Amino acid sequence: MPKNNLAERPGSLLESHKSYQPRVIFFYFVIAGLLAIVAAGLAYQQLFRTDIYHERERVQNQRRILVPGPRGNIYDRDGRLLVGNRPRFAVVLYLDELRAEFRREFIRVRKNYRDTGDKELPTSAQMEEIARASVVQRYLDEVNTILRRNEQVDSAALQRHFLRQLLLPYMLLDDLEPDEYARLLERLTVRSPLQVYTSSTRYYPYRSAAAHTLGYVSINPDIDSEDFPGEGLKTFKMKGTVGRDGLENVFDLQLQGETGGTIFRVDPSGYKINPPLDRRRPVQGKNLITSLDIDLQLIAENELTKTENAGAVAAIDVRTGEVLTLASKPDYDLSEFSPRLSHAAAADIEARKAWTNLAVSGVFPPGSTFKILTAIAALDHHAVESTDVIVDCTGVTRIGNRLFYCDNGRGVHGNITLRDAIAHSCDIYFYEAGLRTGADTLAAEAARFHLDRPTGIELPNETTRMLIPDTVWKQRTKDEKWFPGDTANMAIGQGFIGVTPLQMACFVASVARGEIFTKPTLVHRADTPTQHTDSIGLTPVQRTALVGGMEGCTTEGTADILTTLSSLRIPGLRIAGKTGTAQIRTGTGTINVAWFICFAPADNPEIAVAVAVQGDTPGENYGGGRYAAPIAQAVLRKYFEKKQNPSAFIALPKTS
Amino acid sequence: MSHERLTQARPFLTLGLVVAAWLVVPVAIKSFFRASFFEFTAPVGVIASYARDLQQYWTLRLHSESELIEAGRDLARLNASYALSVQQNTELEAEVGRLENLLRLPSHPDYRSEPARVMRRDFSGWWQRLEIRKGKNFGIPVGAPVVFTGGVVGRVTEVHAYTSVVELISSPNLRLAATLEGDTRPISFQGGINPTFGPARAEIEFVPLDIYASDLMPKRLVTSGLGGVFPAGLLLGTVTKVEPSTDGLFKTGEVQLDPRLSDLTEVTVLVPLNTE
Repeated sequence: MPKNNLAERPGSLLESHKSYQPRVIFFYFVIAGLLAIVAAGLAYQQLFRTDIYHERERVQNQRRILVPGPRGNIYDRDGRLLVGNRPRFAVVLYLDELRAEFRREFIRVRKNYRDTGDKELPTSAQMEEIARASVVQRYLDEVNTILRRNEQVDSAALQRHFLRQLLLPYMLLDDLEPDEYARLLERLTVRSPLQVYTSSTRYYPYRSAAAHTLGYVSINPDIDSEDFPGEGLKTFKMKGTVGRDGLENVFDLQLQGETGGTIFRVDPSGYKINPPLDRRRPVQGKNLITSLDIDLQLIAENELTKTENAGAVAAIDVRTGEVLTLASKPDYDLSEFSPRLSHAAAADIEARKAWTNLAVSGVFPPGSTFKILTAIAALDHHAVESTDVIVDCTGVTRIGNRLFYCDNGRGVHGNITLRDAIAHSCDIYFYEAGLRTGADTLAAEAARFHLDRPTGIELPNETTRMLIPDTVWKQRTKDEKWFPGDTANMAIGQGFIGVTPLQMACFVASVARGEIFTKPTLVHRADTPTQHTDSIGLTPVQRTALVGGMEGCTTEGTADILTTLSSLRIPGLRIAGKTGTAQIRTGTGTINVAWFICFAPADNPEIAVAVAVQGDTPGENYGGGRYAAPIAQAVLRKYFEKKQNPSAFIALPKTS
Repeated sequence: MSHERLTQARPFLTLGLVVAAWLVVPVAIKSFFRASFFEFTAPVGVIASYARDLQQYWTLRLHSESELIEAGRDLARLNASYALSVQQNTELEAEVGRLENLLRLPSHPDYRSEPARVMRRDFSGWWQRLEIRKGKNFGIPVGAPVVFTGGVVGRVTEVHAYTSVVELISSPNLRLAATLEGDTRPISFQGGINPTFGPARAEIEFVPLDIYASDLMPKRLVTSGLGGVFPAGLLLGTVTKVEPSTDGLFKTGEVQLDPRLSDLTEVTVLVPLNTE
């Protein structure tokens, strides 16, 4: 039997524990140091980087779904809806609620393929795609049964939506009729992944009325998300709209709705987990009350349409500068833009040259309407006096080497004063007045009335191509000397000069107030003050002659049809106006532009109107008195009838 | 010691075994159990319902003869007025039919009315249901509308051999297309989250912006007939409040439902005659 080893080596075990090896102690320190480093690292990660990890975790497992708020409405000055929103019903499928169904269908599809024994099976991804299309088609068939339709799933669109926008509802059918929406509402269960979805699209009750002024919107895939929490999260955005033209564009920020939406937590596959972490309803944008009067707008457009020619009408409240009417033809039907403009409709608008808002972008020579400015310049600079007979109009005069004719009155004006020269639009008188005043003085006077620059109206496409020429301009741009004939042409609104109808409306409104500038605005406020700018500087006698001449234009002069024709006469209303017939050279010949500018009542002006209608046949005598004045008269008639009996004029919108 | 522990753990063990067994039971058996559960429990409900009817019968027996005579007279008057209404209704139906033929409008679906006793009421914040004492034995289909003298009661959601479950219009799980009386535009009607014993209310959405209603100027809400389930013109409730939604597209509102919905004893199921 072996002896006990412990007895032979007493204390050997104790010895191993008792002695402290310096090397072991060293390792104690090493391990302690390493542990301290780990602890410090842990503390650093947990205490100082906790926010970073929390944010990473949040970004990784949360998603935002943003829904644009409907745009604000646009009203006319009497509160009638010009642009609103109409609901657009669609039936959508929430794909993220179909995860289990997709999986079951995938297994079934895979089994079917394997059962066929075919060696070239689709890949797993392809089978998943087939399974998804199959499930979605089943739901679509449910809808088809309810609506008695026969729609098919677009597999490619479904795949795109699944990969990029899983959390957004997949649109099965859009733009449902009210009865279809009602049927789905009643037949689909409350908790079905199929749901009726409501979005909004722009609604134009008056269709093409004020189309250029109101403008249109287009799809905006990147809606504003600044005010919505969760910046940095992966975001799915429903499409919104953005103003592309007109007031929709200029007041886009005001009209844009407040984005609403939901923040969801998602699982590793991207499927959302209910309930949402945060939810905000979208809020409609702010409304805009325009200065437009839809009654006047409709009558102006109706009258322009009757001419079958391109043209524009601008009517302004003389006191405030608020634009009552801004019509331009040809135009387009705004309802064609909602929800989106088709290629065919766009091509049609292009072919008709209907994109341009002629009221603010159409530049025309003002023709004889410019004689009002020539008269003011001549009076202001004492080149002529209101009672002076400065010419004996025989119908023709020589200026330089050229003969200049009087196109109005066939040379029977004879000895004529300013008042009659305005009333009968005597060219010979104004050639002389212009020559006496001087080209640069005329140009300076036009600039004083802001005819050389845009009016600054709240529209995006107001032209900057208006032109008030002077001697320096001609030398600079054409490298030619300014001739007296140029001055004569300028004095009667011909030659290089070009203005817009809105500018002329502002000009005549300014003349009506006896001031030099009217700032037009399309925004209506109940408390808009009367505008005040510098006085024109005419003496009462000079003003009487000027306004008397303009009034004479409508009673005995070039626009006398307004009072002589009983159908056009407005009893009791004194209109101060001026006709114009300008010539434009085109590739096919010279065409006329018929002008008429006016304000009324002549003794206490309230409304100023400018009309420009472009002739379409070269050589045709398309005069302002005959073609433009009746349009302005129709606007004035409606304005004063409405003023007398406001409740009798309620323009009802056309049904869409 | 270990035996005692085993005894204490036995209920949990049994539960675990049952759960495990349920997990491995074939799907067909599970479906059978789920489907037959209601059928097994239904007779108890039916018997209890008949017992309540018997109680009511004996309660009525306790009334005096003069009270019964008075009630009989009232009933006779009511019957007379109903007879007149039925006659007028027949004439109006004939006129509507003539106009529909004239205008070549599609004919409305016809219904057969099937009166049924209410067996049980099941009200909670999540659902509001009735169980009625008629089922497949009377040809009642799922989805059939259910009405009473005050208007719509709800829709049949489950049909069993001798009983059916009706989802009330006060239930948040029921939604239908409604219109305001005199208007044709569809409105979404959905039951609200209602307290068990409180007055029942429902919600309406997609209300056109030109609709106004308040407690002082309530508006009657009726079925639109557009959904294809409910015939048009059945009363749903009274709209007492509408307010614009934040998106500015529509208004939302509140509908006060008939208080009799909570103590109905008899309803009528409208069984469609020409099902799609």
